[in-house]
Amino acid sequence: MDFIACNTMIPGKIVRFLEQYANVAFAGTRDRDLVPHGHNVCGWCVGADQRTMTAFVPEEFTPGLVEALQENGELAVTVEEFPSHETYQFKGRYLCDRAVRYDDVEIVDRIRRRFVRSLRAIFADVPEDVLNAFVSKPSLAVEFEVREIFLQTPGPGAGTRLIPPVES
Amino acid sequence: MRMTRLPPEIRPVLESGTPAVMVTCSADGKPNTTVISQVYYVDETHAALSFQFFSKTIRNVRENPRAYVCVFDIRGRAHWVLQLEFQLSETEGPIFDAMDMQIEAIASMTGMSGIFKLRAADIYRVLSVERLQY
Repeated sequence: MDFIACNTMIPGKIVRFLEQYANVAFAGTRDRDLVPHGHNVCGWCVGADQRTMTAFVPEEFTPGLVEALQENGELAVTVEEFPSHETYQFKGRYLCDRAVRYDDVEIVDRIRRRFVRSLRAIFADVPEDVLNAFVSKPSLAVEFEVREIFLQTPGPGAGTRLIPPVES
Repeated sequence: MRMTRLPPEIRPVLESGTPAVMVTCSADGKPNTTVISQVYYVDETHAALSFQFFSKTIRNVRENPRAYVCVFDIRGRAHWVLQLEFQLSETEGPIFDAMDMQIEAIASMTGMSGIFKLRAADIYRVLSVERLQY
C-alpha cells in the first residue's frame, strides 16, 4: 500500500534550483524482477502546477524504460548542480511519455550550456565539442507525478526526505 | 558489446575521479538513484563502491543485492554501464585503505574535505559491463 500523499508540490526554492542552476541528472527504474536500471537524463522541466516533472532521455538510454514504467510506474530522478554538488532526488509515479518537441530541445540546449560552463575549469584541456556531447540530444520525454523529494547533497543530511516532511 | 569482466580500458576511467551514478531497488520495489564519488577496480570480476553516509542505497543493497552503476567517461565520449551484485562490506584491509586514500584526494579536489569520509568499502561482483559510445 502506498502511504505517500499524491498532492506533493515542489517548493519554489527547488523549482528555481531545477530551472536555473542544476546541470546534470540521472533516472532510475526497475523491472518486474526488481533489477534496477539507469537512464541518463539530458534535461527536465517542472509542470505548471509544480506537481509533475518531465525528464528528457537520450536515445541510448531508452531501451527498457517505457516497458518498466508501464509495468510498475516507479521512477526516481536525481538532479545535481555540478560542481557545488547540491543534489535532490525526486521519486514519483509515471504518468505518460511522448516524443520530444522543439521547446524540449531548447531546454536541453540551455542545460547543456550551463553544464559546459560549470565543467570548463575542471576540463580546461578538453575541447568544447567533447563537453557539449556529454549532454546528448533528447529522444523521449517522460512525465511523472512527484511524490517525494529527498536531499542528496553530500553531508550528514544526505538522504533526508524534504517533501513530504518527515514527522518527528 | 556486453562483457562479463571489467576490461583494462575501464581502469583509467575509474581512477580519474569522475563521479558515477548508482541505481538500487528496495525490496518493496522503489528505485533509488544517487551520485557516488568512487568506483574502485578490485579485479576483473569485482568492483568496490564507497559507503560514506548511512543511506537508502546501503539499506537497499542489503535487501536486494542488485545494483546498476553508470560511470561517465567524458573524455572518451562514452558511458560505462555496470550491472553488479552486492557481496560484502569491508571496514579495514588493503581495499578499504586504498579507497580511503582516493576518497581523501577526491574530497580535496572537489572542496569536500571533511564531508567525504569512508565508512566501508562495499564489494560487488560484476555481472555485466557495457560501453555506450555517444
